Amino acid sequence: MEQENQGWPLPTAETEVNQQTAGDGYQVKLEFFEGPLDLLLFLIRKKKIDINDIPMAVITRDYLEYLEKKEQINLDREAEFLFIASVLIYIKSQMLLPREQEALAEDDPRQQLVDRLLEFQKIKVASSLLREKEEVELQRWRRTFRPPLEKPDELELLEVSLFDLAETFFLIMKRKERENLRIIKGKDVSVEDKLKEIIDYLEKNGPMDFLEYFSSQDSLEEALVSFFCLLELVKNHLVVAIQEELFQTIRVWLRKDKSTHPIHGPGHE
Amino acid sequence: MNDQLKAILEVLIFLSQEPLTLDKIKEVLGEVPEEELQAALVALQADFNQESHGIEIIQSAGGYLFATKPEHDQWVRRLLQIEKKSRLSSAALETLSVIAYHQPITQAEVSAIRGVDSTYSIKNLLQKKLIKIVGRKKAPGNPLVYRTSEKFLEYFGLNSLDDLPKEEEIAKILEEEKQTIS
Repeated sequence: MEQENQGWPLPTAETEVNQQTAGDGYQVKLEFFEGPLDLLLFLIRKKKIDINDIPMAVITRDYLEYLEKKEQINLDREAEFLFIASVLIYIKSQMLLPREQEALAEDDPRQQLVDRLLEFQKIKVASSLLREKEEVELQRWRRTFRPPLEKPDELELLEVSLFDLAETFFLIMKRKERENLRIIKGKDVSVEDKLKEIIDYLEKNGPMDFLEYFSSQDSLEEALVSFFCLLELVKNHLVVAIQEELFQTIRVWLRKDKSTHPIHGPGHE
Repeated sequence: MNDQLKAILEVLIFLSQEPLTLDKIKEVLGEVPEEELQAALVALQADFNQESHGIEIIQSAGGYLFATKPEHDQWVRRLLQIEKKSRLSSAALETLSVIAYHQPITQAEVSAIRGVDSTYSIKNLLQKKLIKIVGRKKAPGNPLVYRTSEKFLEYFGLNSLDDLPKEEEIAKILEEEKQTIS
């Protein structure tokens, strides 16, 4: 491997490296870089430039050379490369302009870019360190299942986040919409009543099937209110919501220690 | 050394599916002096560290668990007849590093640090459950805010976020690289 790449996770045997004798050393395809900052850092290292004192003219020229090699710019992927190109040209032009006051000299137009590069450089190192850890962990094997238990109906359950709940909710709402309800009801549903209803239901019947319960609601409004109630209950740690797999039904049941988190408003213990 | 305590701990760790936390151990065992417990865990780990054992007790995501030693990977794969497990893509890993070091963070902030749109990588990491949504930021558009998950710690064999490579460690590597270049 080339001297320049020591300790830097850049071109390896797996990646396509275009060895060219023209110009200075070898050229690497744009596709190889994770992004424009990656390319910039690569150029800075290649030229052995001090990152805190970047010669803008040199680096801008080198950078643009890479872009010019492309016959077509794929905007989906390369827009970001173009953006940094414009940043480089802008900084270069800023530096060419005469300064009004010498005092403003501290105000280096390159500073923001340098800060970004320094931060990105750290991230790259952190990534390579994490990669090493990943490598070790991938070689470790763990048991991912429990020895079989007596109770056959104990399923492997995952606790879901509010966002999973919301996603499932919208799925159901879509289904409900398709049913195309035409009956308009004047019934008002209050959050308090619904909260009580859900808790009563859970106390009486035990675990609730989220999907079933919500599709059994009479109106869209009522379904909506009951969903907000459920979110409220989860938030206040009164119930546990569990989903076995994404897009499957969510099962809900009361927490045993629910009394420690009283819900706001009266009527519940 | 309390051999019986060691044996019980071994059983508990063997049976738990997720990393077994100290709190959980205390909950199960009841009144055992903290020092005695710690000493037994250290001794148990040392037992398994011996070369005659292929399995060891590691500390991961805040708890103890059994795992095979990395050097025996090839034998496991031969037994199960599977290829090497797939690694994260470099884009995903880079995105994950940004989130790990800057959490809580929004998608736009991640993209700004990487200089690359990170929507896809974030979606990918969410699917793998290596990151999680923790809420929304009170900023224009109320963007979602992300953090690394417990699974992130497990995946990289970290006990807590404090185990992430430190700033000084990173600075040292950068300094070394600088010297090899010039």
